[in-house]
Amino acid sequence: MNLSEQDLYIAGAIGLLTLCSIVTRASFNVFGHRIPLSDRVRRALLYAPAAALTAIIVPSLLPWVPGSNAALIDEKLFAAIIAIVLFQRTRSTIIMIVGGMISFWVIQALFSFW
Amino acid sequence: MSDLNVPPPSSSKPERFDPTLKARRQAALKEGFLGIRPAIIPTATWGLVTGIALVKSGLSEQAAIMMTLMVYAGSAQLSSLPLIAAGAPLWLIFAAGFIVNVRFLIFGAALQPYFQSLPWYKRLAYGYFTTDMSFVVFMPRFGHAAVRGTQEQRWFFLAMIVIGWLTWQLSSLLGIFLGTIVPTAWSLDYAAILALLGIAIPLANSRPMLVAIIASGCTAWVAQPLPLRLGLLVAVVVGMSAGIWAEHRLNKGRA
Repeated sequence: MNLSEQDLYIAGAIGLLTLCSIVTRASFNVFGHRIPLSDRVRRALLYAPAAALTAIIVPSLLPWVPGSNAALIDEKLFAAIIAIVLFQRTRSTIIMIVGGMISFWVIQALFSFW
Repeated sequence: MSDLNVPPPSSSKPERFDPTLKARRQAALKEGFLGIRPAIIPTATWGLVTGIALVKSGLSEQAAIMMTLMVYAGSAQLSSLPLIAAGAPLWLIFAAGFIVNVRFLIFGAALQPYFQSLPWYKRLAYGYFTTDMSFVVFMPRFGHAAVRGTQEQRWFFLAMIVIGWLTWQLSSLLGIFLGTIVPTAWSLDYAAILALLGIAIPLANSRPMLVAIIASGCTAWVAQPLPLRLGLLVAVVVGMSAGIWAEHRLNKGRA
């Protein structure tokens, strides 16, 4: 077996994410009361996942064009807006994912006709 | 609701020769199964989408299978995909996974009284296999139980996490398999972003949370020229601060 640098990188990512799962889920169970987690910290942590998810999604939807100061607006953004509206209407993530995917294909087809 | 909230007096201490033990265990396991049953279809759908997204976002089939079996955390896995594609440093992938998973710390704090009488490796196992769904089903039922940490409660929990693990893994593996046969031209990697949106949007359930999300989103957009996706960290810090600030402002407004 010949492991490339990319293979090691991905193996490292998987290993560290596994550690994440163990540490976040099991540390209270294993160490019990010895972990300080004040109400203030707890309240602040409430905002962390939403902020992180948003910060991961935004550059994927609205990437900057490499080497310029312009944003790249394409079918990803429009389909995401439709998906968000669908979710607000139906509260169903399944409808949102399927509808968003279909919108993506339709808008992509429209753009290629242009 | 079940009558499991009131444990029989004998259940606080395990008794080896208790003739009712088997019957009680079966009843509790069945209750756990019934409790988690409504979550099976959503979990399976989610696993399927995650599995497809993993292989369509550049992971090899083997890496995707490894990740699903070991990490067992859909939102952290999906979050890592854009970072891996961008070649972000491993510590940032770890930090992002930790932040997305931080809710489990809070779940863990609430759940730990139920497992404290067990040896450490069992506590570790119960913790590792805890999911959002099992927490959401367990707490309303046993959160106000008179005695916390009975065998019935743990059997109930065990049934839920076994069903949850099987559902998630089987559907993810099916998704990974489907992902390898679906053509790349279908752009199903976009489903990963939609799935992340599906996790993020329901979180926007209060005004401070919305402020945190908008602040983080704007920062993340502006901070894109930062190398290695480091803008992510800046955006999280700005988002959290904005959320806390908005919470203070709203509380003051009401007082």
